Amino acid sequence: MKISYNWLKDYLDIDLSPEELAEQITNAGLEVEEIITTVQALNNVVVGKILSCEKHPDADKLSICKVSDGEEEFPVICGAPNVAVGQSIPFAKVGARLPVGLKIKKAKIRGVESIGMICSREELALEDHSDGIWALENAPAPGTDFNEVLKEHSDVIFDLFITANRADCFSHIGIAREIAAFVDKAIRLPEVTVKENATKKITEALSVDIEYSAGCPRYAARVIENVSIGESPEWLRERLEAVGLRPINNVVDVTNYVLYELGQPLHAFDYDTIAGSRIIVRSSKAGETFVTLDDKERTLPENTVMICDAEKAVAIGGIMGGQNSEVSSKTTTILLESAYFDPRHIITSSRKLGLMTDASQRFEKGTDYANVIFALDRAAAMIAELAGGDILKGHLDAYPHPIAPVTVELDLSRVNKILGSALEDAEIIELLSRVQLNFDKGRVSVPSYRHDIKLDIDLIEEVARLKNYDNLPTSVYEPLSLEQPVRLREVTFRLLRDALTHVGLQEVFTNSMISEKQLIALEEKEPVKILNPISDDLAFMRQSIYSGLLPVVSYNVNRHQNMIRLFEIGRVFNRSKEELPEQPTRIAIVLSGLRAPQNWTVGEEAVDFYDLKGVLEGFFNEIHLDNIRFILYSESSLYQKHHAAEIFYGNIKVGSCGLFSKETCKRFGINQAVYGAELDYDVIEKSLNRELKYQTIPRFPYIEKDVAFVVDKTMTAEEVMSLIRKYGGRLLTDIEVFDVYEGEKIASGKKSIAFRLRFQSLERTLKDSEVEQVFRKIIKKADQVHGIPIRDQ
Amino acid sequence: MERIDQIKKEFFEHASQVSMPEHLEELRIRFLGRKGKVTEAFAMIKDIAPEVRPRFGSGLNQLKKELEAHYEELKARLEASTESDERLDVTLPGRRPFTGRKHPLLKIADEIKDIFHSFGFTIEDGPEIETDHYNFEALNIPRSHPARAMQDTLYITEDVVLRTHTSPVQIRVMEERKPPIRMIAPGRVYRRDTPDATHSPFFHQVEGLVVGESVTFADLKGVIQAFAHRMFGKEARVRFRPSFFPFTEPSAEYDVWFNGKWMEISGAGMVHPNVFRSVGIDPEKYSGYAFGMGIDRVAMLKYNIRDIRLFFDNDMRFLRQF
Repeated sequence: MKISYNWLKDYLDIDLSPEELAEQITNAGLEVEEIITTVQALNNVVVGKILSCEKHPDADKLSICKVSDGEEEFPVICGAPNVAVGQSIPFAKVGARLPVGLKIKKAKIRGVESIGMICSREELALEDHSDGIWALENAPAPGTDFNEVLKEHSDVIFDLFITANRADCFSHIGIAREIAAFVDKAIRLPEVTVKENATKKITEALSVDIEYSAGCPRYAARVIENVSIGESPEWLRERLEAVGLRPINNVVDVTNYVLYELGQPLHAFDYDTIAGSRIIVRSSKAGETFVTLDDKERTLPENTVMICDAEKAVAIGGIMGGQNSEVSSKTTTILLESAYFDPRHIITSSRKLGLMTDASQRFEKGTDYANVIFALDRAAAMIAELAGGDILKGHLDAYPHPIAPVTVELDLSRVNKILGSALEDAEIIELLSRVQLNFDKGRVSVPSYRHDIKLDIDLIEEVARLKNYDNLPTSVYEPLSLEQPVRLREVTFRLLRDALTHVGLQEVFTNSMISEKQLIALEEKEPVKILNPISDDLAFMRQSIYSGLLPVVSYNVNRHQNMIRLFEIGRVFNRSKEELPEQPTRIAIVLSGLRAPQNWTVGEEAVDFYDLKGVLEGFFNEIHLDNIRFILYSESSLYQKHHAAEIFYGNIKVGSCGLFSKETCKRFGINQAVYGAELDYDVIEKSLNRELKYQTIPRFPYIEKDVAFVVDKTMTAEEVMSLIRKYGGRLLTDIEVFDVYEGEKIASGKKSIAFRLRFQSLERTLKDSEVEQVFRKIIKKADQVHGIPIRDQ
Repeated sequence: MERIDQIKKEFFEHASQVSMPEHLEELRIRFLGRKGKVTEAFAMIKDIAPEVRPRFGSGLNQLKKELEAHYEELKARLEASTESDERLDVTLPGRRPFTGRKHPLLKIADEIKDIFHSFGFTIEDGPEIETDHYNFEALNIPRSHPARAMQDTLYITEDVVLRTHTSPVQIRVMEERKPPIRMIAPGRVYRRDTPDATHSPFFHQVEGLVVGESVTFADLKGVIQAFAHRMFGKEARVRFRPSFFPFTEPSAEYDVWFNGKWMEISGAGMVHPNVFRSVGIDPEKYSGYAFGMGIDRVAMLKYNIRDIRLFFDNDMRFLRQF
């Protein structure tokens, strides 16, 4: 909401500079987001007078003017439609640089010389758009420095963020009232004298009936005859422009002016379009449609407040007027409406219609029901003055069930109890009185414009606000003497992220809203779709962290990053039968590009499956989760066939990993191998061994034996190891694979796997002979029972 | 005694020839080894006439010392010369491991959590997809409340939303536990905002809640001040301004003076009695305060980042700076 410094000064004497004032307003809880100065200093611009004005011989739309700066005369070409002899205008001389970035030079336009420029308000940065040059009213003598003229037009605009509870602050009077409370002054309301010049009484011209007082408790009206619709005077246009409104005509401009002055939305109808001299306020009918001012036909939601005449609806109450009753240039009689609409009705209808207006935004927050007549009179008087109308005698005020003034009970001792302060009762009462909250015998009367004050706590906030939060006491924070336990989830979260970074993975953090194209489902579950997404790119919730990680791979590969090792922990979402979707947490890892950072000592090798598996093994080892098994996984189309594994902890599935299939990579625009793993956070959390116990370090030497078996290509290392373990017995403590060979030296369809077996005892030094005996047994059994021979040396 | 002089002469003759470690070892074995000449000479002592025996003995001891010293010196010289022959180019780059690092935003979140944990707060968690009840109704934001428009909401169904703040966790915790409560809840939240340099449709907050008997606004100011000192340094000043949130009253916005500017961190206030009522806590007996802060905002301030989108692009050139 934009507030003009000059405008505020109509209601309050302000001794503060705009900056000081901004700080004061912010401290009152109305945050000033920006301070805008409307006028910028000019050089080489003076007041000029147009001495003559002729059509350009070679251009229809151009005029050749003779402009005097008081001393000399200059030929100036002007393209504005409103240029005329005798006008005083802002004249930019050669060498002037205008705030919009234009530099004035001598020029020839279609063969005619032009020395200088006649400016519009737009070119002086006074408004966003001008239709013609600025013809000055009451201009000083030609040659006067134009900065003198601008002084009258200079203003400072505060752009305020007003919180939804402070409906009373959406106007200049409202803001003035707030400032007054803080500087302890009184405001001046505008003086209103309604000259009821018409001979007719309003009762002869109109009747108002409220049939739906739940939606519209109060409806008042005046009628003004013989108005002439035209342009508003400069001061009015300037004020509206200052607060960001576009001037339209004198009647509409007045209603907007009063809106921004008093915060009361008004509506002007063309009285001659109102059938039967009647206004009836009723609720909408099922399926009713209506064409609003903006030419749109709208289907009205139920219980919408409709303003109607004897035959038809003419406005959606408090939201927007109708096309059928709009004020036009031909309008001569105005029906002016000032009403109080129920906030809940407005908010509901406005939402359902998807239609928000300056009026609806104020009504939905609550306007001042006691100020309806004052605003009506203010606007009527201004219209009569500016559009030359005659106001009919009297006004109509339908207000079937007057709203009772609000009072709130306040136990003064509670103020200090909540604020931790030591304010005297008298000070509390005085502070409240500054915002017209009058305390009397334990009760506080609330002004009709303060819809936000309903409970004692609201009054306590007012005391704190007026005292200024920074002037209230601050306790020295004392931590609780008893240490609070850290939640398990947080411990796990840290542990896992530490482990993942320890194995050389960079943490990333991606959006959980994704496009349909990004959807990846690791289980057969339905995705969660957003009803009102920001865009199609953000229409679904991710079902796998991969959906966010793969775009990061693509993003970085495209930026020539050659080593990509990432992880992310976050929630994924699946549709469920419960009220809320499933929202489990997952850990995902991706590897792509080089195995190791580029270095002059090593060649460039790309990562493969065993790099990924190594990272996973390192991770599980780091978190002390042993007993992890990898089992070939060929079902998923996400991964390349036979290049993926399911990961188990005991018999519980922890996740999957593998090389992403070509299709998957293509979907994310990636042209290189990417390996990934996704793990179930909850399973890991439940499986963690949180109480580590010391294991004896063996004191006696070990004996190592190497053996290579020749097996079918399809046999896994794990299968061979499990049979080695079976025959190795207690003394066999460790098996390591140190070579895998396929090739011409062994039969086709076979491979050789070489193992190093370690034998050790915790109790004694082993004898060579007993180890040899076990080792022989393994070889013999492998050959005789399983048909697995050792490789010939 | 001649024998001593002879051994000495022979030793130095040989020693002058030594240029390689093998030769040195040979020299040691020949003279000082178990079967070396000096050892042999010691063995001769018993055959020597008793009157010269002591002199021979001490001469031999002296000889042994002298030869050993010379041997050590030679050895040191030889080692020094072999080392200096091989020169490393110490300016060549080393083989660096790829180190894993944490995301800057989560590092800040860790820091915030550590600070509040040290203050005696528990760390809580709640779902990101929430019911309308937890996200709005229980927080004193009924359907017709104008504040609903403040937070443009993403809906899953009419009654299920992507949570617009971490405040629903307050409600879940208060339903579950009796006061006293001191908790924070960090997490992701969503708004229907078009992304630009200062807006992201998802961002991260930390919610704080303290409920007890006689908890005051002064206590709220105190905890925020203490936090600001820990997070931004002792010079950090905090400013409180009135604001509006439906679930707190009085409500405040707080700013921290950092890098020569007031920086808006987020909102706070005393828990609204209607919120206490919605979870069955007696507002006459208990009072409490709640606060929120934008993790993204704090991280932007701390690291001098002007565009929030940098956090979620996950450009390695960005991430590897932290």
